[in-house]
Amino acid sequence: MSVRKEDYESPVENHWCPGCGNFGILNAVRRALVELELAPHQVLICSGIGQAPKLPHYLRVNTMNGLHGREVAVATAAKLCAPDLCVLVHAGDGGAYGEGGNHLLHAIRRDVDITLVVHDNKVYGLTKGQASPTTSLGEPAKIHPRGVPSRPLNPLALAIALECGFVAQALSSRTDLMTDILKRAVRHRGFSLVNVLQPCVSWDKVRTYAFYDQHCAPVPPEHDAGDAVAAFRLATSRPFLLGVFFERQGTPFDERVLPQGSGPLRDLPVEPRRAEHIARRFR
Amino acid sequence: MEASVRIAGAAGQGIQTAADLLGRALTRSGLCAYLYNDAESRIRGGLNFCHLRVAPELRQGVVNRCDLLIALTPQAVQEQGPNLVPDGWLLCPERLSHPRRASVDIETLAGQAGSPKSLAVVAAAAAACWLGVARETLDSTIGELFSSGTPAAEINRRAVELGFEAALRHPLPRSLKLPAGPPAGRYWISGAEATALGAVAGGVRFVAGYPMSPATGTLTALAQWSTEANLVVEQAEDEIAAINMLAGASYAGARAMTATSGGGFCLMTEGLSLLGMIEAPGVILLAQRPGPATGLPTRTAQGDLRLALHAGHGFFPRILLAPRDLADGFSMTARAFDLSERYQVPVIVLTDQLLQEAQASVEPFPYGSLPTRRYFLSRDELEAMPAYQRYALTESGISPMAAPGASRHVVVADSDEHDPDGHLTEVPALALQMAKKRLRKAATLARELEAPLAVEGDPRQHALVVSFGSTHPTLDEARKKLVSAGRPFAWLHLDQLWPLPASLRTLLRDTPHLLTVENNVGGELSGLLSQVGLREPESTIQRMDGRPFAVDELEARLREALA
Repeated sequence: MSVRKEDYESPVENHWCPGCGNFGILNAVRRALVELELAPHQVLICSGIGQAPKLPHYLRVNTMNGLHGREVAVATAAKLCAPDLCVLVHAGDGGAYGEGGNHLLHAIRRDVDITLVVHDNKVYGLTKGQASPTTSLGEPAKIHPRGVPSRPLNPLALAIALECGFVAQALSSRTDLMTDILKRAVRHRGFSLVNVLQPCVSWDKVRTYAFYDQHCAPVPPEHDAGDAVAAFRLATSRPFLLGVFFERQGTPFDERVLPQGSGPLRDLPVEPRRAEHIARRFR
Repeated sequence: MEASVRIAGAAGQGIQTAADLLGRALTRSGLCAYLYNDAESRIRGGLNFCHLRVAPELRQGVVNRCDLLIALTPQAVQEQGPNLVPDGWLLCPERLSHPRRASVDIETLAGQAGSPKSLAVVAAAAAACWLGVARETLDSTIGELFSSGTPAAEINRRAVELGFEAALRHPLPRSLKLPAGPPAGRYWISGAEATALGAVAGGVRFVAGYPMSPATGTLTALAQWSTEANLVVEQAEDEIAAINMLAGASYAGARAMTATSGGGFCLMTEGLSLLGMIEAPGVILLAQRPGPATGLPTRTAQGDLRLALHAGHGFFPRILLAPRDLADGFSMTARAFDLSERYQVPVIVLTDQLLQEAQASVEPFPYGSLPTRRYFLSRDELEAMPAYQRYALTESGISPMAAPGASRHVVVADSDEHDPDGHLTEVPALALQMAKKRLRKAATLARELEAPLAVEGDPRQHALVVSFGSTHPTLDEARKKLVSAGRPFAWLHLDQLWPLPASLRTLLRDTPHLLTVENNVGGELSGLLSQVGLREPESTIQRMDGRPFAVDELEARLREALA
């Protein structure tokens, strides 16, 4: 039975601003899931707080919309307990790189088989225009009227430095490319980071659709995605490249830590006799 | 009829290993031992001790007097010497003079065994001999503790032999031998291991935690057994990750837990609130130590009762349980998983350093009587449903729970206020419905968890003492002494601290004098009883220095308070 786009239709009214970059991401995710022939009940999207994390409500899909910045921790455990699910995380730049920064580092280390899609619009939208960790140095923002005094985080360089399994960047308005990248990210066995550049039509008058169209270019075709040093050089020198920067296939965390041959942890019964067996060592 | 042995020395001298060896050997000999630990937060130096109480039947009250003091440093002799009973004996290096020093030269023997580090094991072997442990029992016990063939195993085997033989040559003038029953197959187990075993029996499949004394032992035990128990233990990057992992595992349908102490629990409070909102089951072992802040990291306290009750913003139902001893630690932790999944609420199990790190000879646990039901909708039940709503409105406030991926339905959970489908909403009528649903669930919990109160004595005639958690064994012994001395009082030990039983109201109202006994600074239980409008206790007996109450101390303080 093939999966159709309509299977993912949600009855929930969309609350994003008209013209929001999130719409492009929503369309690309749905297309990627349909093209991967994943049915809604086979997919779990974890998210936190902000505009981006509302995304799973606008798809008919298993949803765990938790706390701000903690979505990767939730997704890690959910994947371990229900490994039959395809697990994605949708977070904003604030949740993924600010509030959840520490979790991101350790999720990359674990290399659990989940895909983190960061809606990177370089601004806090839902709280009305504060700086995010990716806002440029010196750029004025609500709580930084004289300009952001810190240097921005470079998420791609950070992930590549940690040899994250799959590192890519997309642009919310180029859905064909994004769909392709998302499919590769989901297929990658391990932790995938897809940083999606997107305009914020309400709070950012500089980085508009036209701005991104003008500045973005594909990752050069000669780039070797297996070369971390080359990927790092690209990520630090050219902020608006789109495509796959780095890919490394390791043994995913789930394969390393899950008990073998017992089926998903989710489905296991309560077995007091296991405790009794273990307790023989105390006699 | 009992004997107490205290082993005191510096951190790094192996006193815990020696005490473990002794307690284990005594258990294998058909005696019952109870061991509690008093240790500084350091790896080397200072003064630590392990106290072993030995009797034909298990006595878990804390006592300070000892019949045999093993003191490995001058500081240990000086500071612990006063705890020796007048006809007791001191086992210490020969160069440390003391009128009650037993004539076994443990220092020379340790040298002969091959390492000065075997000092504590030499002394423990001598103590075992004096307490009537057979040589072969001791030998097989040392085999359990050290894998054979290693240099350390050889040194310890030799240390046992030398210590035991020396004690045979120099019997104590007052025998410490106790009548042992037949080896009864009792466990020699720690509180941390008992709670971990309870978690396994309760069906835990996913554990996330960040190391913090005194909770770490539970995580360690679970990690060691993960293959046999068929579970995953993950050391999270912090407590915030741990509780959110618990939420993710639980949402996905697995029984999940975390273990922490007060500081870590504080970091978890937003996550606790998340569990409340998404109605995810989850067990949180809160092993208390004194605060505020870092407090006394290796000491004990019952100071987090109201923290556990109030932690997390917004209203949501929860259950608070406090085991009284090791056996209870097993049963209550197992039961916590059942309650948590049945009612879809977080359950907090309150232990403390005293209980976590104590070791005891306990009867095998009652595995056969534990609940084994899982409360998720089955695949067949789900496939038969035309639609599924995670937060369907019900009279009990409990909605049928499905796991994601278990059927063609999708499962939607949201930390925002949500509609019955799980989607975020701000519609006032829906928000009200959900708030009322959670209130109904709280009422269901209170109603269904109401159990008769096990009160000792007559609270209408005499004063009523209320207590909770690890003070139980010590208070029990202190009370028996006072009752037999003609100073009766009634006693209620609360195992379930939330929801509080409704029948508590009349009980507390009708007693002439109400007091609490608690190991904390803030008067947590006393405060709770007042706060919920039950009654303000007239007095509170507290111990505030991070050490547990001892039987004699509590007896004297109760006598004074009840006068």
